Amino acid sequence: MSWLGRIFRLGHYDRDLFDSGPFDRRKAELDEEMRAHLAMDVADRVARGETREQAEAAAQREFGNLGLARDRTHGVWRWGRLESLTRNLQYALRVLRRSPGFSLTVVATLAVGIGATCAMFTVVDRVLLRQLPYRDAGRLVELREAGVRGEVNYGSPYLDLDQWRQRARSLEQIAFYSVNTKRVAFLEGNTGAVHVREGTASANLFALLGVAPAMGRGFLGRDAGGSVNPADEHGVLLSDAAWRDEFGADPAMVGKTIQLNGERLTVLGVMPRGFTFPSTGSVAELPMVWRPIVLGEDDFSHEHNVAPRYEAIGRLREGVTTAQADAELKTAQTAVAMSYDADDREQISSATVTPYTDMELPEGTRPALLALFCASGLLWLIACVNVTSLMLARATARQREIAVRGALGASRWQIVQQLLLEGLLLSGGASLLGLGLTAVMLKLFEHGLAAQFDLHERLVPNAAVLAALLGLTIVSALVISAWPALGAARAPIEAALRQGAPQQGMGRAQHRVRAVLVVTQIALSLTLLVGCGLLLRTLYALRHVPLGFQTDHIVVAHMEIPAYKFAGRNMTTELYQPLVERVKHLPGVESATLQTEVPLGKTFQMMFTFWAQGQSEDAKRKRALQAQFRAVGPEMQQVFGFKMLRGRFFNEGDTAGSAAVIVVNRAFVRAFFGDDRDPSAILGHDLIGFEEKRRSTVVGVLEDERQVAVAEPSQPEMEVSIPQITPKSMFYRGAEQLAMDLAVRTERDPDAVTAEVREAMRQASSDLAASRFTTMDQVVEDSFGSQNLAARLLEIFGGSALLLCLAGIYGLLAYLVAQRRREMGLRIALGARRWSLMWLVLRQAGLMLAVGLAIGLGLAWFTSVGLRTFLYGVKPADPWTMAAVAALLFVGGLAASLIPARRAAGVNPMEALRAE
Amino acid sequence: MAKDPTYPNVQNRVELLQGTLDMLILRTLGWGPAHGYGIVQALRTQSGDVLQVETGSLYPALHRLERQGWVTSEWKQTESNQRARFYRITASGRKRLAADRSRWQQMVAVIGGILDGERKPQAEGGEA
Repeated sequence: MSWLGRIFRLGHYDRDLFDSGPFDRRKAELDEEMRAHLAMDVADRVARGETREQAEAAAQREFGNLGLARDRTHGVWRWGRLESLTRNLQYALRVLRRSPGFSLTVVATLAVGIGATCAMFTVVDRVLLRQLPYRDAGRLVELREAGVRGEVNYGSPYLDLDQWRQRARSLEQIAFYSVNTKRVAFLEGNTGAVHVREGTASANLFALLGVAPAMGRGFLGRDAGGSVNPADEHGVLLSDAAWRDEFGADPAMVGKTIQLNGERLTVLGVMPRGFTFPSTGSVAELPMVWRPIVLGEDDFSHEHNVAPRYEAIGRLREGVTTAQADAELKTAQTAVAMSYDADDREQISSATVTPYTDMELPEGTRPALLALFCASGLLWLIACVNVTSLMLARATARQREIAVRGALGASRWQIVQQLLLEGLLLSGGASLLGLGLTAVMLKLFEHGLAAQFDLHERLVPNAAVLAALLGLTIVSALVISAWPALGAARAPIEAALRQGAPQQGMGRAQHRVRAVLVVTQIALSLTLLVGCGLLLRTLYALRHVPLGFQTDHIVVAHMEIPAYKFAGRNMTTELYQPLVERVKHLPGVESATLQTEVPLGKTFQMMFTFWAQGQSEDAKRKRALQAQFRAVGPEMQQVFGFKMLRGRFFNEGDTAGSAAVIVVNRAFVRAFFGDDRDPSAILGHDLIGFEEKRRSTVVGVLEDERQVAVAEPSQPEMEVSIPQITPKSMFYRGAEQLAMDLAVRTERDPDAVTAEVREAMRQASSDLAASRFTTMDQVVEDSFGSQNLAARLLEIFGGSALLLCLAGIYGLLAYLVAQRRREMGLRIALGARRWSLMWLVLRQAGLMLAVGLAIGLGLAWFTSVGLRTFLYGVKPADPWTMAAVAALLFVGGLAASLIPARRAAGVNPMEALRAE
Repeated sequence: MAKDPTYPNVQNRVELLQGTLDMLILRTLGWGPAHGYGIVQALRTQSGDVLQVETGSLYPALHRLERQGWVTSEWKQTESNQRARFYRITASGRKRLAADRSRWQQMVAVIGGILDGERKPQAEGGEA
């Protein structure tokens, strides 16, 4: 074979070596082109009379460096760079595959951090960064009145809204609406009655939101004030979901008649897909219908509690800030307040303007969520620090390989590029695994997250989250590989090549860096663990609050009341009393009772506002008295077992025919008299009338109980007995037609009882069969759901951090001991005691732990303040928690270092010395 | 290898000015399609054996010109039955050549003017 042929054989071999598919064809063509060039040259020379050997040599000489020509031509092709990247990628993959243990450790460690952060970001994205489906939602504001009792959160009368509309220049428009955020309405669709959410809207509401019906039209206005034209009074708008689910997306829906709560209404229009308003509340996921607000006579009354109240929403003019609008509304409100008499005036002396997007978030959500997000970020940081330490150790082990690459002509930048690429591969793998962990975590915490952050769709990472994940992947890659890469690029080649054994390492500087990394991990882990500890103490405290009633063995059913079916009938005698009787006689049921809301239920709230004339201090205090109002069954005391302080509870003798009686609690007495020195004094008081000619008297005082929230002291409360309520009672609608909870005391298994109770309910009214069942223990547990959620999340974050941290300590010490094997052997050979070698290792561990814990305690001191909203019964800087957590980490850290310490002590001097 | 003293033309060769190779290749192809070896031979003959184009520059240049659409290529048989890649100048390549040529002539005139011209006394300090 000729010399020329050999060169091209080499060329082919070269290609095989870096085989990379798509580039092959063009390379082969180029080779053939150059081969033709040489062949023609040789042929010409032979024709001129040279011998073949001379001709080949001369042609080759004239052609010059074939490899160079080829490389430079490759460089002209655009994908030359891509090709080298592919080659580097393949090499990086091979390197990582060659040490699977290391690669898997790094991927798993990073995945924990990335997964946690990604999961929390998914929640943050959905809750805090959510775009409301309204035009220019940033300019929407909620308008509320405020006074001596704080912000009025049950709406404002039309006359006040109208004043604002006329006075406030900073607002483009004001619309009003009302919605029952927690209760459902019954819509009779094609498939029977279904639960829907019902709201009312002023004529201009949808225009203000910038949304027009997708089909048909909206409500027509009567005047600029926003009232709907009375012609539309029996009209209704459907949400897209209601139209699709209940009416099969009927294209001729507009103009048809539907039944809502038994009332016949004409469909005026269907709203676009995805639109709902308002977008919060526990039933926000339901299909929705809107009815028109047609102003009536009552709306123009200034009398106390006559005018209906509406939520007000406004749109800021372009360029106006919320603060400007707030100041303007406050000024306007002084004039508004003047139109009321003195007693009402002090309740609404001021007004506030709040961005609508903030109103959507329950108070405290933002800081709570951000605290948890930061915790997940902290875990990510710990994972990165841990991996950086591993990468450093590995860079040391690979020093020779890298030096050889350098000696073979790889530029420093190429080496850095190679290491960064490896980092990217590792963090890419970690992100994939982390995405899986994200899904698992979101699934695990689905219930808690949905309840706490008012989320109704399934939480899945969306495009924004994936983009964030990509960013996180790149940042992780940079963080974990930047340090080793820079170290490798700076390291002198000759020294590394000259050193015989690679484990001589980079010396003390690098050990110090790794020690710093371990200390960082300890400090950060401690911060997370302190947070976790504080939450656990909070949970403990919450679980041990004396509630004032029993919670065990009680099954609770939240009922949606189909009140429209009982129009014109007495629900007390026709629905409730027969239902309770039936349930009480179920086998194994000790007792059963109805009440508008079980304690801590958070499903329904009815407030009683006390009315007292005059300007005396006593009258003012009584006017500020707001009490929880509950209608309860006489069996309530048997079911919940709370204590009477004075007087009696309701009994069988309290009927619709007997004298009306009420029961209050101790907190009510305190608010009424200013103190509770003599609870008996309230007995016999006439506080409210059931009907016009039927006043009531207080017959009993309940001991305080935690009825609103476990963490909140008892609120004033007033109870009436359900059997005494008739349709003529003033509070009949509020007490019987909106909401009712059934509580059943039984020793039997809750699931078995549930089925039987459900059947009893179905017999009472078919719609009740859809009631939600739970247990009283669960209601209590749910009432501190946010702490529960935070504690569970921090347990996972803190636990992972602890494991990573201990692994970090162990890793570094094991590495050091392996490096110093020879020194240890020598020491033993020279007579050192084995325990003193152990001490050597333990001392280093102790030092790192002490420094890490000191820094960590300082950090925790600041960061745990972020958890303040979650804490109950414990201060953010609780010394006991801090001490306990620090002790845990210290003991854990020493335990982790015990293994390398024993290994150090167990070094066989002969072997260690011979090994060199 | 290229510095082999036994090779007669080595001493007489001139280095090509940066950027002129493209122009020369286009000019050569203006006479008709040619393969790489043919271009080298044509340039050598045309220059009276003075210009020796390095293949290390020729092939990158050809591929660059092709990528820019100034030449196209196809595989054909030569008269001596050797399969080779023939390059052909395109319409935009001709435009490019014209532009390069006028720029080159301009530059030759300017640089020649400076190299050959008399030093004008007022140019030294006068205009300030």
